[in-house]
Amino acid sequence: MVGIFSRHRSLALLASVVLAQLLLLAFQIKRDHDIRLIRYWAVGIMSPVERGGTWGFSSIRGIWTGYIDLHNARKENQQLRAELGELQLRNRELESQANEAQRLSAMLSFHEAHPEAPILAAQVIGASADSASHTLFINRGTRDHIHNNMAVVTPDGVVGKIVEAFPSTSQVLLINDRESGVGALFAASRTHGVVKGSGDPDPRLDYIVNDEKVKPGDVLLTSGDDRIFPKGLLIGTVIDSKPALPFQLIHVQPAARLDRLEDVLVLLSQQEFEPKKTGEASVPLIPDAPPEPSASATDLSAATAAAAGAKPLAANANAAPTAAAPSASSTKPNDSAAKPHAAAPGQNPPVAAKPAAVARQ
Amino acid sequence: MSSMLSAGAHNESNVEVHKYYGGTVIGATFLALLFQVFLHKYGRWAELIDLPLLVTIYFGVSKRNPVSGMFLGALIGILQDALGHDGPIGMCGIAKTIIGYMASSVGAKIDTEHPASRFGLVFILFHLHQAILAVTERALLNQPARFFTPRLLLDSVITAATGVLLFSLLDRLRRQS
Repeated sequence: MVGIFSRHRSLALLASVVLAQLLLLAFQIKRDHDIRLIRYWAVGIMSPVERGGTWGFSSIRGIWTGYIDLHNARKENQQLRAELGELQLRNRELESQANEAQRLSAMLSFHEAHPEAPILAAQVIGASADSASHTLFINRGTRDHIHNNMAVVTPDGVVGKIVEAFPSTSQVLLINDRESGVGALFAASRTHGVVKGSGDPDPRLDYIVNDEKVKPGDVLLTSGDDRIFPKGLLIGTVIDSKPALPFQLIHVQPAARLDRLEDVLVLLSQQEFEPKKTGEASVPLIPDAPPEPSASATDLSAATAAAAGAKPLAANANAAPTAAAPSASSTKPNDSAAKPHAAAPGQNPPVAAKPAAVARQ
Repeated sequence: MSSMLSAGAHNESNVEVHKYYGGTVIGATFLALLFQVFLHKYGRWAELIDLPLLVTIYFGVSKRNPVSGMFLGALIGILQDALGHDGPIGMCGIAKTIIGYMASSVGAKIDTEHPASRFGLVFILFHLHQAILAVTERALLNQPARFFTPRLLLDSVITAATGVLLFSLLDRLRRQS
């Protein structure tokens, strides 16, 4: 190097002098944004070096952190997996508690919305061993003043009725059981029928003549004709309907989730619920007050009740339907006593087919 | 300064190295710059002649030492830039540094005493000087400088002719060995 410089001393000096003057110029000349040329050059020279240095440093650091410094990764991974499992378990517990709190809150809201109705909360503790029957067991019995034929509901809708009351437990017959029947009416048209179990998850609405216009989504309420369920409780909505003989074949979607019940309410009396007040939207069991039925229907119902000479139901919690009064809830497919009479074509079936009238307090 | 300019005066080649009376180089440089500034007062025709370039070429060729020719060119160029009012200092400095170096290198190899060779040498170095200036202006100032124009051709002819006359005058200031 020194030898080359010595041999070309004059050229090296020339280059040095020219370079010095270039630097002198660079200090004076300004480019865009009043930046001196020497700064442009300095940045231009240093930037690639800086980029290269940054790339090299990041590569080395990546190699270190990605490969060399991973000796604790396996242990840390195991710890994190264990923590994740614990947290998932804890999360499931909290979700379960939150769901339970939500259910209890809904039931409390329901009870607060209807303080006039004696209600007893119960937990579902078991179900039927027979897959053909839709029953379940609750943790309340005769010691809690529970008797047969008491209505069982949830804030969402009707569940079923008590069929066997033991000292500390009771068996509930769900509304989709073959043996079940609930007096029902359409919220809009006030047409009466009976919701009966079919063995399928979804019950059917029976005794609706083919002339009656039924469409999916129509709301069904309890009619109170069965002397078990107070009038006006939400049963469910129509899924579909098709003409059949002698009555329409109507499938009903229960409002209560019958397949995942955990907490229920037992109505200790058949006292009719007051229509839902404004601002109680969280209590769907009692829907908005339906339009007042026609005067003729009301009169006919009252007249039928008077003709039947049914005994009035007591508001007492121990009051049970009389055995003499035919009830839709005791309806069997071939039970002619409980089955409404077939309506003549063009006749209003709820009135004509009404099994029994109920005089109310 | 004079010692720096006379550095390398003992050329290793067999070409004769001329020596001048004391103060000749500095005086000629001073006068060339003075006349260049002075003549500019009387019109743009003075731009036709580049006296500092002629002095750079002459003493570079005469000294026949690239280092001294280079430093003399750098000095004259920087002073010429300094006497300007708008250009950055160093533009002419770079050009005349290179011209001084090349003139010394050429003077050490060929005969530059004949008027024709002097004319040709000045003509070529003039255009080389302009080319270096154009490159520098384009690169550093980002200005569209032209490498060759008819005006430059005229300048180069006049400067070369003036150089032949000036060089014969300066030859009289040589110290007889």
